[in-house]
Amino acid sequence: SHIYKKNHDVTKTWRGKTEQLLRVDDHDFTMRPAFGGPAIPVGVDVQLESLDSISEVDMDFTMTLYLRHYWRDERLSFPSTTNKSMTFDGRLVKKIWVPDVFFVHSKRSFIHDTTTDNIMLRVFPDGHVLYSMRITVTAMCNMDFSRFPLDSQTCSLELESYAYTDEDLMLYWKNGNDSLKTDEKISLSQFLIQKFHTTSRLAFYSSTGWYNRLYINFTLRRHIFFFLLQTYFPATLMVMLSWVSFWIDRRAVPARVSLGITTVLTMSTIITGVNASMPRVSYIKAVDIYLWVSFVFVFLSVLEYAAVNYLTTVQERKERKLRERFPCTCGISHSKTMMLDGNYSESDANSLAGYTRNQMVPEEEKHEKMVVHLAMSNESNSSRKRGLKGHVGLLIIQNTHAIDKYSRLIFPGTYIFFNLIYWSVFS
Amino acid sequence: GSPIPVGIDVQVESIDSISEVDMDFTMTLYLRHYWKDERLSFRSNKNKSMTFDGRLIKKIWVPDVFFVHSKRSFIHDTTVENVMLRVYPDGNVLFSLRITVSAMCFMDFSRFPLDTQNCSLELESYAYNEDDLMLYWKHGNKSLSTDEHISLSQFFIEEFSASSGLAFYSSTGWYNRLFINFALRRHIFFFVLQSYFPAMLMVMLSWVSFWIDRRAVPARVSLGITTVLTMSTIMTGVSASMPQVSYIKAVDVYLWISFLFVFLSVIEYAAVNYLTTIEERKQLKKRGKASGMYSIDAVQAMAFDGCFHDTDVDMDLTGFSDRCEENETRASAASGSNVDTPRLKRKRSLKGNVGRIILQNNHVIDTYSRIIFPSVYIVFNFFYWGLYM
Repeated sequence: SHIYKKNHDVTKTWRGKTEQLLRVDDHDFTMRPAFGGPAIPVGVDVQLESLDSISEVDMDFTMTLYLRHYWRDERLSFPSTTNKSMTFDGRLVKKIWVPDVFFVHSKRSFIHDTTTDNIMLRVFPDGHVLYSMRITVTAMCNMDFSRFPLDSQTCSLELESYAYTDEDLMLYWKNGNDSLKTDEKISLSQFLIQKFHTTSRLAFYSSTGWYNRLYINFTLRRHIFFFLLQTYFPATLMVMLSWVSFWIDRRAVPARVSLGITTVLTMSTIITGVNASMPRVSYIKAVDIYLWVSFVFVFLSVLEYAAVNYLTTVQERKERKLRERFPCTCGISHSKTMMLDGNYSESDANSLAGYTRNQMVPEEEKHEKMVVHLAMSNESNSSRKRGLKGHVGLLIIQNTHAIDKYSRLIFPGTYIFFNLIYWSVFS
Repeated sequence: GSPIPVGIDVQVESIDSISEVDMDFTMTLYLRHYWKDERLSFRSNKNKSMTFDGRLIKKIWVPDVFFVHSKRSFIHDTTVENVMLRVYPDGNVLFSLRITVSAMCFMDFSRFPLDTQNCSLELESYAYNEDDLMLYWKHGNKSLSTDEHISLSQFFIEEFSASSGLAFYSSTGWYNRLFINFALRRHIFFFVLQSYFPAMLMVMLSWVSFWIDRRAVPARVSLGITTVLTMSTIMTGVSASMPQVSYIKAVDVYLWISFLFVFLSVIEYAAVNYLTTIEERKQLKKRGKASGMYSIDAVQAMAFDGCFHDTDVDMDLTGFSDRCEENETRASAASGSNVDTPRLKRKRSLKGNVGRIILQNNHVIDTYSRIIFPSVYIVFNFFYWGLYM
């Protein structure tokens, strides 16, 4: 706030109209200062208020900033004893000449106009002018998503004069690299703003010539935590869930099939969810690689069980055919029967009551080939004993198929290896 | 007097977006007009021009070009109106504007997403017809230039070309109309990843069902049904971002045929299951067994009713019940006499062998399906990609 000081400064005690003081009507302000002469240098200063949003789908960003221009127009000089300036709001802008800076590659922009146009004009006695306004601009930014969401985007806002080439108006950063200031805490929820810096260059238009162009460049690095929680973690859990199927008894057909199929469905839903908020680019993104490889793992676990089941039934059929070729053992003594195929025959059952398997030839059963009956061995049921000829007997129904056994190691091992490669490449 | 010739030059800054749902495109461009107005000539030793910004245009005459078929358009006005006026000593004027315009583009989606769209932006004078103002491209075909890198994420811009024609309005006469034509070819990669590939995987997953034991009723049914559900979800996802057109699109053709394959695999298993039960009933009648009890090994029993059986059971196949305990007690009750003795694996007698033969592992329908379904799908794919690419 200003304290009104009583002094004899003409800037504070002028009673007449501003236009008379500034002699606005004496000059034609549609012409630039020093018209016909050398180029007028206009210094630019920017203070960033906020980065409002970055949109991947539209590939643009929205920024609010204070844009200040500094130049000298002798037609606006006025006599003064102290060196103080006169401050005006936006209504004087229409009457004098101001530089016509625009934002190249901007999609939409506006000067805020609440409660009145947010424009300030400050005129110094020697004709120096400070012209400041508050603008929100939405500008294009070409984004490269091949490493999304572990990516960094570099965007820039470009200022240029629309009408005046570099022979008429020279645009430059007033304080070099320090011309760009940012408000206390500019922060975005999804990005970390790495740095802001300014550059300037010349731009050529074939029909109209060379123009000075000023750049505000900034780099944004995406925070990955949200995507870890939203996409990577569920996908990893689904893959791990599909491995559970290798530990379930292979005879539990409905269980293993529905486990596999439901993990495939969930992976498909996760993949659809990610692409909903992304632009439709023509190359593969880092998150796509991860999700599709996980999908393939889950898919393969379903195929693995189909193979296990198929081979089981094939084996079973073979066994059955082989067993049918054995002659009927009715009437044969129990011991011989046993040696042939390890089965008890019903016809001799009454003489076999109480028979335990300790009296059988010792078994060389391996643990994994144990038939389910082994669980009841304390009841001393007839565990198959291989007959000398009858190896064919009961080897069939093993608890664990070899494919399952290997899968329990191969699938997790390969997935962990894939993760190691993925995170080291993209991090 | 004679019509005034106004030359037009366009530099396209960017194509901001193409919307399928609204069937329009948004473009930002620098529009430059060139004409000669003797009233603006001034004396000068050198041939240099005078440059003015937007405030002078209110005081002089400028052509009133508008965009035919545009929905919304505006001249950018930050920080001041993006307008430039350059006057040469002989009265030639260069008038340049920066405009963003959203214009209509009629799109044909019958080959979506393997389609190419042709859109055009049309410029015409609003008030002056052919007798008063002649609009023409200043440098012929080269009047249209594009910025360094115009690129769209979803499309490949094939060509930009300029053409001109005459347009007739019955009430007002003939007008010169200039066209900016461009062709956009859609990148298919996104749709391959998003729609075609998941659909293909779901169809392949449904074939897995033919390799699973046909006695595993719950497994095969849930496999078939869940693939149908996933296909349905994929189809809904695609049509969410599309306009509701009255003809079939290329992606619809693919998804619906894949859906049909998945559907048929469910129907196939219903047929297999039905024929299996018929077979079984026939054999039952043939053997005339009173109780219908069969000795089944643990794997078959588990596949049949989904309950865990740790040993071979005698099962009453006709009296199948949902609750596993019931099945178990029924099974053990039948073999009650053996409670004390060790549970014996039943030995089939010759007659009893018949009981087990019925439930063969493979039905003939399954065997043929394993070959027919994949080969028909592969043939369909050949036709589809050959036709649309």
